[in-house]
Amino acid sequence: MTKRPINNLKLGIFVLVGLLLLIFSLYMIGRDNNLFGKNYKLTARFENVQGLTVGNNVRYAGIQVGTVKKIRILNDTLIEVAMLIDVKMKQYIHKNDIVSMSTDGLMGNRILNITASKDGSLLAEDGDLLATKKNISTDEMLETLDKTNRNIAVISEELKTTVLRINSSAAIWKLLNETELPDNLRASVLSIRHATGRADEMVKDLHSIIADVKNGKGSLGAILTDTAIARNLEEALLKIQQVGDHATALVDELSKLTAGIKEDINSGNGTAHALLKDSALVIKLNNSLSNIEKGTDGFNQNMEALKHNFLLRGYFRKLEKQKRKQ
Amino acid sequence: MALSHTWQQFLDETGDISRFTRRFFLQGFKPRYEIAELLRQCYIIGYKSLPLVGLTGFIMGLVLTMQLRPSLISYGAESELPAMVGIAIVREIGPVITALIFAGKIGSSIGAELGSMKVTEQIDAMEVSGTNPFKYLVVTRVLAATLMLPVLVILGDAISLYGSYLGVNIRGITSFSLFFQQVFDALSFSDFFPALIKSYFFGFAVGIIGCYKGFNSSKGTEGVGRSANSAVVVSSVLIFIIDLLAVQITDILGFN
Repeated sequence: MTKRPINNLKLGIFVLVGLLLLIFSLYMIGRDNNLFGKNYKLTARFENVQGLTVGNNVRYAGIQVGTVKKIRILNDTLIEVAMLIDVKMKQYIHKNDIVSMSTDGLMGNRILNITASKDGSLLAEDGDLLATKKNISTDEMLETLDKTNRNIAVISEELKTTVLRINSSAAIWKLLNETELPDNLRASVLSIRHATGRADEMVKDLHSIIADVKNGKGSLGAILTDTAIARNLEEALLKIQQVGDHATALVDELSKLTAGIKEDINSGNGTAHALLKDSALVIKLNNSLSNIEKGTDGFNQNMEALKHNFLLRGYFRKLEKQKRKQ
Repeated sequence: MALSHTWQQFLDETGDISRFTRRFFLQGFKPRYEIAELLRQCYIIGYKSLPLVGLTGFIMGLVLTMQLRPSLISYGAESELPAMVGIAIVREIGPVITALIFAGKIGSSIGAELGSMKVTEQIDAMEVSGTNPFKYLVVTRVLAATLMLPVLVILGDAISLYGSYLGVNIRGITSFSLFFQQVFDALSFSDFFPALIKSYFFGFAVGIIGCYKGFNSSKGTEGVGRSANSAVVVSSVLIFIIDLLAVQITDILGFN
């Protein structure tokens, strides 16, 4: 047996490197489990922990800050979860912060999230109980989805009947197959475009008119902008008011007058009363008028006799000639 | 009957190995320790095996990563590659591959060395000269194998993970610190300790089988070859059996 040379230095390095790697990896693994750092305890109470187990991660604003230490059933509706939190986080976690449960990724492990309440409450102490928020579990989500699915089924069924009816409707297909319709539509659209173009021009004109009015051009502008006119108008109005006042005075006098007249008439003074109320006078008047009629009749006969008189015939002929000339 | 004869042989040998193991425990912890020889064996068994273990570990890490990538991509979980490879290497691939390589290299060399010493009657000569050959030859080798294999496993794991890091970076880009973080985030003590503890048993098995086969080598040069060969075969099978036992025990204890 030949003794092979041995190098204690190399053996020492070999073993040391192995041991260091062992210690290092133990530290690295232990660091995640909070075995070597200083921790403090916080608790939260849930109705349902949804599969959370001891050792699950606790995150504060998405940062890994600790692990679940213990899960204890308090009673049939309450489960207490104790968390070990890195003591460095003591200056950030407040008493009113909220603990909620979620999943790491889509199908990953359960995690606890501590969300900052941002209301400036006191910092949480060792052993404090934090409030929790109930999260929607996948079961509840699926239940809602189930309802939605059923509704969608109903809707799709109705859509199907609608589409079937549309398909079987001759009128719509006729409308769709109409070849002239697009041309007509195009023409309509063209005329609408013209109309709108004109409307646009009109609006522009209106705009310019309004601008002119604003600038005091034209009579409307003058009315609106000229202060002198306003003064004149005011005066005119004042005068109209005065006239109105005068008119009322006039009306008053008139009414007095009519009242006087009325009185006169009723009491039997004056000619008007004689005219209106005296029946004897009316008979006399009638007689006089018939006498006058008879008189004028006789006068007419006398005049006719005069026309035919030889003395005056020449004058009347001259008059007739002049009429003809004209 | 041939069958019963084979069985009898098998049971005979199992009993022999058990007695050999008992003898190791009886003599191994009694004083007059062969410290210098133990260190020499540690150097030969441990340090000299490192290049081989490192090479296989590196290749295993690299290959495993590249093989896993396509199926992870089809799940859209490419980012889980470091975590997955890390767990695979630390829990299973690292200890078992290292132990198998170790069995191939150390088991055969112990078997051949002790076998040739037995055949050339050096062991008998040692006994005559007053040295306890069992203590000097067997205890030191078995202890060295038991102590060195876990160290080799740890180093092999590290090299393997580095190979895996390179494998990840062949197709994608992952910084070393992210890779490192992902691997250690995925690992826990329950991944690490069963693997470490079982590698002690692997080392012990390789050492004890190699020594037993060499110590009980039959006469002639043929016997030396046979003992070397069967040392490798039996210790390799034993490694898998211990692995099976280890996974069941950790499962019962709830560490899985």
